Amino acid sequence: MANDIKISIRNLFKIFGPVPDVALEHVRRGMNKADLLEQQSHVLGLRDINVDMRNGEITVIMGLSGSGKSTLIRHLNRLIEPTAGEIRIDGEDVLSYSEEQLRKLRRERMSMVFQKFALLPHKTVLENAGMAKAIRGYTTSDFEADARKWLARVGLEGNENQYPHQLSGGMQQRVGIARALVSDAPIMLMDEAFSALDPLIRSDMQDLLLELQEELHKTIVFITHDLDEALKLADHLVILKDGEVVQQGDPQEILLNPGDPYIVDFISDINRARVLRVRSVMKPGSEAEENYAGDISERDNLETVLERSGGDTELAFRVVRDGRQVGSLHMKDLTRALVPTAAATESRQRA
Amino acid sequence: MATYDFVFSSLGLNDWCSEGESSAPMSMAQLLSKTKGEESSDTTSLWELPFPSMDALNEACPAFPQSRELTKGLEEGFLDIKDSLSVVLDPITQPLSWFLDGTLYGMLNTPWWIIIPALLGVVFLVSRSWKLVSFVAGSIFLLAFIDHYEYAMQTLSIIFVCAFLCVLLGVPIGIAMSRSDVMQRMTIPVLDMLQTLPPFVYLIPLIFLFSVTESKLYGIAIILYAIVPVIRLTNLGIRLVDKDVIEAADAFGMTPRQKLYKVQIPLALPNIMAGVNQTIMMSLAMVVIASLVSAPGLGVLVLRGIRNLELGVGLVSGLGIVILAVILDRVTKASLARINASQKQ
Repeated sequence: MANDIKISIRNLFKIFGPVPDVALEHVRRGMNKADLLEQQSHVLGLRDINVDMRNGEITVIMGLSGSGKSTLIRHLNRLIEPTAGEIRIDGEDVLSYSEEQLRKLRRERMSMVFQKFALLPHKTVLENAGMAKAIRGYTTSDFEADARKWLARVGLEGNENQYPHQLSGGMQQRVGIARALVSDAPIMLMDEAFSALDPLIRSDMQDLLLELQEELHKTIVFITHDLDEALKLADHLVILKDGEVVQQGDPQEILLNPGDPYIVDFISDINRARVLRVRSVMKPGSEAEENYAGDISERDNLETVLERSGGDTELAFRVVRDGRQVGSLHMKDLTRALVPTAAATESRQRA
Repeated sequence: MATYDFVFSSLGLNDWCSEGESSAPMSMAQLLSKTKGEESSDTTSLWELPFPSMDALNEACPAFPQSRELTKGLEEGFLDIKDSLSVVLDPITQPLSWFLDGTLYGMLNTPWWIIIPALLGVVFLVSRSWKLVSFVAGSIFLLAFIDHYEYAMQTLSIIFVCAFLCVLLGVPIGIAMSRSDVMQRMTIPVLDMLQTLPPFVYLIPLIFLFSVTESKLYGIAIILYAIVPVIRLTNLGIRLVDKDVIEAADAFGMTPRQKLYKVQIPLALPNIMAGVNQTIMMSLAMVVIASLVSAPGLGVLVLRGIRNLELGVGLVSGLGIVILAVILDRVTKASLARINASQKQ
């Protein structure tokens, strides 16, 4: 089940302007974004997007502002209509849906969390959390237990009868997440959900999301402009630039093998020790002859290993998964992996 | 003869002009100069060159219509369609007369010891403030004590009916405007006209259309004058609703109807209430003017004060109007503040 493709986007184009069809022809023939704006006065939103999002995974779409990431996520529930292309959810073509089917999709199979929270200011926290159910026609007493459960789960026990404006930003976004969870939809779209929060709270919310995901296994599409956030959350990372996918894949893989100068630039500033995991830099195999300083999990990040080694670069660790050795890690390799370009060239040589 | 003779002679219209020679009535100026026995001199200096208006051209060519024929034509045209217009408008507007007469009858024939507590109850319901209730009670008792109770209640009943109808008609029009740009483009010029026409001008065509003895005459004048703010602010309020919240409503699959009743109207309510406040204040302004066309109430006393130069009557009734205005404004503002407080963002 875990590897089923839940959402599939094929050859998706979006062009903003009065006659997008004409502009589309130019774009298909290879006109770039700047020329299109200058010669045709149309704005290229998305060009030839192909992404598969797997069931139960967090797919992070990352890009700077103007890269089309918010446009892309709004295509999934058709808040924005594409100019050309195909979007399949559970194998069904969403673009062929009637208004009624689309509404059913939005009500029952998708939920969304917004950057600016978008809560109803005149409703209590409890009513906001149950909004999706209320829209489907349930009364407050029907969804109250559910809403209370999820509000408690996101840490808002006791705030049920307050109004959104009485809560802090972080708490409001918790209501936003509870609202998405109460809807019981298998797909969660999160549009820069944590970007408006301050860094400490953002980190808390990321942990909360990962914790919830551990338990719920929803298909989450997460939009962000923050690479650290993307690397922390992503099972599958899609990097967008000017409406095009620059690179997509396992985030560790992208980090070690950036396929584009744009991405090299991008990843040059991040804290690699925190983001890289042991499994990405270890030597696979189970040779037992070495003198190991201890056992580490393949899912630990390099920061944890550095801490355990106490800065001694002579050490080597045994990497274990479920108690069995799957590889070994020399501190020298670890240190090398921390230098962006070195890591890139080395892994290229290894390949 | 006249300054602009050359225009008609150069166009070869002399024959057409002379046809109308005797038929056109003489203007006052011509009559005067004729009685004085002066002939209008041919040579006018450039300094005294008249603007080529209808009257000036008529002097040169009697067949050319004078400007008074324009107003006359308008009047005749209106009188011609008046009868058929009344056939349509009379039945449509008749309920307004009944509504106004019924409310006036009800308010005046219910004893004061029921009406005043009922009014105070309404004030408490919308404002939840005992301070305001006691202020309103004091004001009404003052008006009643100086024997203006009946007039004030007449004015109030007319305002209640007209403001209620303004909201009943204005809010849906405002919603329609907010949903369609075409509708907005068509409605705004009408609203601009209604807002800039001097209030007295409303009365002129209405007097011709309806009989002055009917209460709907002033009812319509007040509604036309006072409906504008509630329409404008409903439209504005709905258009100003946070785009993110609307998007969330869409993303969770609200139908357009759910969106309107559960998101747009509740969030636009502060603006709509500001419109209602304006509408009530404008009804009060118009109800005084409408006393010219037999609207009862404090306005009648003001009018008496002006007509008979009864200074005291005019001043006291004017003060009564001010008191009513303050009451209405405070009460609607208090309910507006209550709505605002419940949906800060």
